[in-house]
Amino acid sequence: MSQSITDYAPQTITELVGNPWLAMPMAAGIIMGALTVNVLMLVWAERKVSAWIQRRMGPTEVGPYGLLQTLADMLKLISKQLITPANIDKPLYHLAPLMAFAPVVGAVALFPVSRDYVLLDNDLGLLFVFALGGMAVIAIFMAGWGSNNKYALLGAVRSVAQNISYEIPLILSALSVVLVVNAMGGSTASGLNLSHIAWVQSHEHVWFILLQPLAAIIYFISALAETNRAPFDIPEAESELVAGFHTEYSGMRFSLFFFSEYTNMLIVSMLAVVLFLGGWDGPLLPGPAWFFLKSYALIFVMMWVRWTFPRLRFDQLMTFCWTVLIPLSILNLLATALAISVL
Amino acid sequence: MNIAFTLPFAVIVIGAFLAVTRSNILHAVFGLAISLVGVAGAFLALGSPFTAVMEVLIYVGGIAVTMIFAVMLSSVSSPAERGGFLRKSLAALVAGLFLAGGSLIIVNADFGAGNHLSTDAWSIQAVGRDLLDRFNLAFESLSLVLLLAIVGAIVIVRREPVLPADQDDAPEEEAA
Repeated sequence: MSQSITDYAPQTITELVGNPWLAMPMAAGIIMGALTVNVLMLVWAERKVSAWIQRRMGPTEVGPYGLLQTLADMLKLISKQLITPANIDKPLYHLAPLMAFAPVVGAVALFPVSRDYVLLDNDLGLLFVFALGGMAVIAIFMAGWGSNNKYALLGAVRSVAQNISYEIPLILSALSVVLVVNAMGGSTASGLNLSHIAWVQSHEHVWFILLQPLAAIIYFISALAETNRAPFDIPEAESELVAGFHTEYSGMRFSLFFFSEYTNMLIVSMLAVVLFLGGWDGPLLPGPAWFFLKSYALIFVMMWVRWTFPRLRFDQLMTFCWTVLIPLSILNLLATALAISVL
Repeated sequence: MNIAFTLPFAVIVIGAFLAVTRSNILHAVFGLAISLVGVAGAFLALGSPFTAVMEVLIYVGGIAVTMIFAVMLSSVSSPAERGGFLRKSLAALVAGLFLAGGSLIIVNADFGAGNHLSTDAWSIQAVGRDLLDRFNLAFESLSLVLLLAIVGAIVIVRREPVLPADQDDAPEEEAA
């Protein structure tokens, strides 16, 4: 660790390959392959975790421990007929799954999986992730509106309200980490660069969950809400709204929503690992192993929460955000700024 | 001409065209969102990634979503009422005059020599320092305007409190 804190720069895939026109499709291929495996495994893991919590067996038939169950499900979804309801808003209905799918794939490229390599090193990485996350809201609303179905529209309305409310504490809690990074990591490198955030934690031998415990808790709660996971799964509350905004989608169109939903879980977990848990930092094991170990541990916690807590009511959800999370995150930000200027 | 420069402007024009021609108000809002993504692309082509990301974050993720929210809360699911010919032509006249005036000013303006592309001038540090230092007053007054807008919105949607005198009258009328 003789490298000084300011001249750390991980190698990007463009630098490795040497040609951006070759690197771009390669990066896209890597991301798509990894994400497909990720979604297949996460769906299997979700079913196993829920079964374990409810003292059931979960999938056991296809493959060892039912591991190939989701692969079979995927083949089924691909071969299913695409049903298009009558009187839909055609452009919005057809564009919505793509709009939900594209931003999450883009966001994954920014995460520093190891100390030395990253697909895309960007000084505004954190902002890019949030900007792409904001576009998902539009996709959800397009789906809900375009479906010509009252349950879908109600789900979309709830989802938009929930997402734009919980985005505020999410960004504010991430911002207090950025302040700490800038205070510790010198002024030349950007505190919004995800690689730099991870690097500073490794270099200073402190994970930011120790310096910003409140921000970490606020971030995790808001992240649950942003990914529409229980206890915040009000947009697709199946006992009230059938399936919320994707009620009218079948086959591959539905799979695209499903894909983006599970990838979003991975994205918020990876972001939490980078912001609060030291990224790839850890003893003995190589960086990528630590990075994914931490990310999937967080995803396990998200599943655990989902199968443990009941769903909130909508007014409880909004009141909690506006009267508890947002004031707390603003106070935390002010306290952080004060502490940095005093120390 | 460079494709990196022409593509964003094509997206802006197509989005703006959709925004003004669609009679379905939600399609118009999505057209506006497309146009704003194009503006972000233009900032990117001009070498200012920070402004581009903020454009997407604030205008697409914030303003466009707020507009969708406003549409959602108002009852416009029925086809919008169409104004008469006179009303329409008056609106077209005002918009046309505004366009002509704006174009005239922009065409005749002397912007001076442009700065060469530099990542430093539009870096996040430079923007932050300028906002809180050089343009401090403008920045703070903008927040005041936003606060006023929020208070104004609350005042507009607030229902008039029902006076006790009205409550006394109402049951009599119903009974009669």
